Amino acid sequence: MAIAAALALWFGRGEPEAVARTAAAPPPAGPQFFGAVTGEGGLPMPSERDERRQLLEQVQLTDHTYCSYLEGSKYPMESRPVAQNPDQVHPNQPIQEANPMRVEGGGTNNAVLLQSSQSHVYLAAGEAAAFSLRAVDRHGQTVPIVITTARAQGMTYGASRPTPQVAVPFVDDGGGADPVAGDGAYAGVLAPAEGGLAGFHGTIRTEVRYTAGGRSGFALFDVIYTPVLPAAWTGKVREAIEDGSLNFHLGLEVRQPGRYVVSGRVDDARGKPFAVATFNDVLQTGAREVKLAVFGKLLKDETPAMPLTLRDVDGYLLRENVDPDRLLLPRLQGRVYAGRTRSLEGVSEAEWQSEERSRYLAEYAKDRQAARNALGDFDPAQPVPPSACATPTGLTPPAAGMAR
Amino acid sequence: METTVKTIRIIGALCLFLVSGWAAAANYTLWINGRTGGGAIGNYNDFSYWGPGATAAGVNKKSVNWDGRSSIASQNGKVRDALDCFCTGSNWCYIVTHSAGDLMMGYTLANYGGSARVKKNASANSAGVCGNTDGSSQTGWNIKWVRAASGAAGGSELSDVGSWTTSEPLVQDLKTSTARAMYNHNTTRNIWFYMYAGAKGTAYSGVLPGQDDEAVAYHSTGGVAGTSGGSYCNPSDWLCNDLALGTAANEGGSAKWSYHSVVFRDDAEAYNHYANGNWGGIVDVVRSAVVSSAQ
Repeated sequence: MAIAAALALWFGRGEPEAVARTAAAPPPAGPQFFGAVTGEGGLPMPSERDERRQLLEQVQLTDHTYCSYLEGSKYPMESRPVAQNPDQVHPNQPIQEANPMRVEGGGTNNAVLLQSSQSHVYLAAGEAAAFSLRAVDRHGQTVPIVITTARAQGMTYGASRPTPQVAVPFVDDGGGADPVAGDGAYAGVLAPAEGGLAGFHGTIRTEVRYTAGGRSGFALFDVIYTPVLPAAWTGKVREAIEDGSLNFHLGLEVRQPGRYVVSGRVDDARGKPFAVATFNDVLQTGAREVKLAVFGKLLKDETPAMPLTLRDVDGYLLRENVDPDRLLLPRLQGRVYAGRTRSLEGVSEAEWQSEERSRYLAEYAKDRQAARNALGDFDPAQPVPPSACATPTGLTPPAAGMAR
Repeated sequence: METTVKTIRIIGALCLFLVSGWAAAANYTLWINGRTGGGAIGNYNDFSYWGPGATAAGVNKKSVNWDGRSSIASQNGKVRDALDCFCTGSNWCYIVTHSAGDLMMGYTLANYGGSARVKKNASANSAGVCGNTDGSSQTGWNIKWVRAASGAAGGSELSDVGSWTTSEPLVQDLKTSTARAMYNHNTTRNIWFYMYAGAKGTAYSGVLPGQDDEAVAYHSTGGVAGTSGGSYCNPSDWLCNDLALGTAANEGGSAKWSYHSVVFRDDAEAYNHYANGNWGGIVDVVRSAVVSSAQ
């Protein structure tokens, strides 16, 4: 039994790779994440130096992995500071691009820069997308554009029957999506529900061909359209402090069951973006609630001006393993709910606890210790660098209502 | 005598039980391909997308093959199968991606990273699906880190201009505005994406902004946050904002996605996008790092 146990211990974690060695790759030319080891008098032989460097890098990597996870996971994924979601704060702002004019036949015309925008990428049933184009020269002066054609068509593959093409008028007359007449910026609106693409589910490509600067160019706009809504917001929102966090519950009448992914933005009382709240869970049909949580510790740590406002909520039913992969929920643009909670009474400052967090911290701690032991064993004369964080004395069991 | 034989059999069975329990806890290195695919789907030992299968590429390396032309969503189940197989229960994974594999992995974590996963036994059938261990489940997978070689989670302008064929759904997914809107790239479950950005690109420099590796520009390979791409370069490129190393904001102030860190920036413009069937290009840089750290 003892021999078998000893044999079992040798299995360790993973089998060694019995492989032919390739020629060593040339060292990467770019800067390295971990700097060179410095200040060592009486240096060992280069190969030993390399080995020590690798061991040191492993200590740094595992320590960084552990400490950053410890810090980051103090809040659940469902409730994060806005600083951790830099591109999620204003989801309904137009997507703006500026690229050298792309010319027919390939290549670019670098003398002309095409400034373009589209209001949305994902469109729910009944929504419309606005596109705009403007050409400028290298001095920023507007270059006159002539729109030649602008057509939208659903993208199909293989044996699927092609969809109709729908004309998308682009105008510079100050009407519709065009704010200023005659400024050289053209705008067009694609409203799939109002034409031949009403029943199409998938990517609709709008192809705009134009001339500018004496050359022919093109621009492509893609939107992914949902012709059917899987659920409908009831318009009811309730706010409650529950299990130490401030939660917004949005009523949803679910028509198609499945995994719903919903995001909402939370501003403080001064209108400053504060948090991004996410819901990701399976909902059955019927009257349900989507909970968008502002975690207690996040409130206690950042002490936003109260009350909070929930705005810009979007989401979808995720369809597994198929394309298109989602059915969009109606977009709730702008203010959704003005909170009434002004006090943080009942809000907890406890860190998020869950089986997932415990599992990760245990594994990362083990890796960190193993790396430190390996470096210490290799070079007992040198102290192992201190950790960037302290190890918690213990993790409490998952709190009810928040952890899984 | 009969008692002795019986005792030996009992001890043997106990030893087998003990040995099998210890052998089940392992680290794996999963390699997730990009566009074009090539490896046999479900065969975790087929490294034909990457290079010779005998090449060192991390502990217990497995090739997570998907077709590299269908949409991210429709192929995502193949990746989830692999993660279930090797990254649940007592097993943990290092993840390496190339090109659209970065988009695939980001999509997986953002949409499914908090879902209940049944623990698997790392023993796959021909379809790449593993058997259950004890039938219990856990939240998400066990992942130590992700290293992205020429990550295309921010899309590529080659898709925007129709340089790639429009008969592949994946090409539509790789349009920069689509790739960036597809999921919240900051939702990584606190798992780090270490980004390796190559710069040996010339043929498509007019289309790909800033530095590129001939297929993907720095805004994508460097994990720059935003709803559209942008132009980012090396410090030696004077008229272009630098892609900063690490998690720092780039020159000009743009942020990176959370838990994305640039650990390699190709200042010498020495590495292009392509593995060339021999672990080449930017893939080789990542492979070296993986061999050192995926143990």
